[in-house]
Amino acid sequence: MTKTARVLLVDDEVSIQRAVGPLLRSRGYDVEVANTGAEALKIVEARPPDLMVLDLGLPDLEGTEVCRRVRAQSALPIIVLSARGAEADKVDALELGADDYVTKPFGPDELVARIRVALRRVASEDIAPGGRLSVGDLTIDYNRHRLLRGDEEIRLTPKEFDLLALLARNPDRVLTHRVILKAIWGPNAVNAPEHLWVLMGQLRKKVEPDPSKPRYLLSEPWVGYRFSLDPAE
Amino acid sequence: MSHMPRWSDRFSVVAATGAVLLVTLAFRGWLHVTNPTIAALSYLLIVLLTATVSRVRAAVVTCVAADLCLNFFFMPPVRTFTIADPQNLVAFFVFVAVSVIASTLSSAVRARALEVAARRDELARLFDLSRDVLLTTDSAEAMTQLARFVARRFDLEFAAICRPIAGGWDIRHAGSADLVLDPHALTAAFAGAERTLEFDAHARAYAGHGTLSIDGRTVRIVPLRLGARPVGLLAAAGRDVEPGTLDALAGVVAIAIERAQFLEERKAAELARQSEELKSALLASIGHDLRTPLTAIRVAASNLQAAWLAESERQEQIELILAEVERLRRLFQNILEMARLDAGAVAPDVRWVHPSEIVEAARDQVELALRHHPVQLSVDADALVRLDPLVTAAALAHVLENAAQYSPPGTPIAVRAHVSPDGLELHVRDHGPGIAEADLPRLFDRFYRGTESRRRVAGTGMGLSIARGMLAAEQGRIWAENCDGHGAQFTMVVPAERKTSSAVEQTS
Repeated sequence: MTKTARVLLVDDEVSIQRAVGPLLRSRGYDVEVANTGAEALKIVEARPPDLMVLDLGLPDLEGTEVCRRVRAQSALPIIVLSARGAEADKVDALELGADDYVTKPFGPDELVARIRVALRRVASEDIAPGGRLSVGDLTIDYNRHRLLRGDEEIRLTPKEFDLLALLARNPDRVLTHRVILKAIWGPNAVNAPEHLWVLMGQLRKKVEPDPSKPRYLLSEPWVGYRFSLDPAE
Repeated sequence: MSHMPRWSDRFSVVAATGAVLLVTLAFRGWLHVTNPTIAALSYLLIVLLTATVSRVRAAVVTCVAADLCLNFFFMPPVRTFTIADPQNLVAFFVFVAVSVIASTLSSAVRARALEVAARRDELARLFDLSRDVLLTTDSAEAMTQLARFVARRFDLEFAAICRPIAGGWDIRHAGSADLVLDPHALTAAFAGAERTLEFDAHARAYAGHGTLSIDGRTVRIVPLRLGARPVGLLAAAGRDVEPGTLDALAGVVAIAIERAQFLEERKAAELARQSEELKSALLASIGHDLRTPLTAIRVAASNLQAAWLAESERQEQIELILAEVERLRRLFQNILEMARLDAGAVAPDVRWVHPSEIVEAARDQVELALRHHPVQLSVDADALVRLDPLVTAAALAHVLENAAQYSPPGTPIAVRAHVSPDGLELHVRDHGPGIAEADLPRLFDRFYRGTESRRRVAGTGMGLSIARGMLAAEQGRIWAENCDGHGAQFTMVVPAERKTSSAVEQTS
């Protein structure tokens, strides 16, 4: 990495700032802190950071609103901090452009891992052209709608390929159930998640080395799915 | 009604008979009227007048007197009770028949008018009662209040509402007479009311009505029915009330009882709902207040674990952990105190204490929250008060913590304690933004957080409500007001005995 990544931490809780600030600095990031949504938006406009860690419970603006406004002007990755049980907030934030979320109380490694993944995704997008994606022993050929494990082709139905391609084109981003349903089955299917469960089951059987322990197609309970680029995960 | 007519009957008989004799005397003595027709018409007039102002009995007596006079003085042969001419005999009997029929009719009309007036009177009473019933509240007093309304509206000397309860009767009575109802008699009457339901038109009897004799008085017993089901008995004495009216009266009372029960149930449901709301508010609040310190502690601890921190940073992380642990401790203390207050487990333990002890104990309890505020103490020098120092200090600590949270760092907080005739007065004055007008009424409600500060200041909305609860356990009070200029002042008053003690020195 040639330059140090700048992380903007948006949280009004001083204790979180005082704990997470040193954590991120110690892992080699530049940390800037904003107490309010308005302050965060100002910083994003003036000196765009490489990534934003955003608490959803801010004193001035709804966290989801901050997501929406940042997305309107920038593609920077947003990781949302939210409370367990507040799944609806997470889903809203993800659909308004957040990339990932961490549930409070979180452990330091969890947050750092998510930040690393999100930054790497941005870097890889800058380099990789759109035609092919290789992850582990899988190769996805978007142009010819083919999936290879090593040299061997895995036969997918068109819907299965669509689902795989949708997730793989947004690697390491959480896509909510609703976003996936809308993209693959159309707007009328958003309230029929059973389509997605069935299709995901079929796809995992063909793609995953061990479908009971997925390593590529990961579930985010209650929220959605994510395609993992990180074989270690 | 029962005394008046007897007297007026006698009076009208005397008056009417007198009138008959007077007319006879006048016709025979001075006017020399001998025509029996004129005499008969005059007598008829007297009979009719009597019938209109009195009862049939008086009219009949008048009628007999008039007959005798007519026969004796005017029908030939005069001065005998015999009638010679058969035509005159017919005329005499026609006179008798006309006077009897006319007096009966007129008397019946009069009786009807009286009855209508009585009905109207009773309807008015029932109407007033039904309006009273709407005033009954859902308190335990409702039944007594109801009995009082019945006694007052119907001018009864005794009115009682009796409801069967487990193992006896709940009797609420009102009125000037104090009669003791026998529970066994009530049970028997109630059983009777349960057996018979219908109004017996034939016997003109209302089912379940009965009388009891207590201390030589007649007490009417009427079942209180909701639909057909009796729910209790109404006992009334002192004034004769129509059985039909009594029945209607009992209906109104039964509806009032049902209404009181309904209000009671609604209140219970409302309480249950509030407690449910409270629980979810508690969970939401605690959920949020646990998460932040836990996250901070977890991250800071693992920062410490990693070796790369500079010494100053290590120190900062340690302080952060200690501060967050303190925050958690305070949160749990709040929850415990609230639970104790809810369980009614805060029992004041009074002893003689110097006010400064309370103020200093409170300050120490929330030292951490006060670390950014200079605290100015001023304490009455030479007075001791007798109260529970622990509970009072805990309440004051919550108010101090609140002042520290809601005023900008660096602004002073003044605590003033002085002993007044009311007891111990504690004032906490801050230099924050003051309290929004809209928040004042709900400031001490549990989990209530000011509309403005809700999003700016971390807090649970428990502190002030706990303070109020603790003070209430000591019969104390707390209130808040905005000060001229800016800032808010909280005042607490705890009733307490006091004694001066010049031996105690000011320790602030």
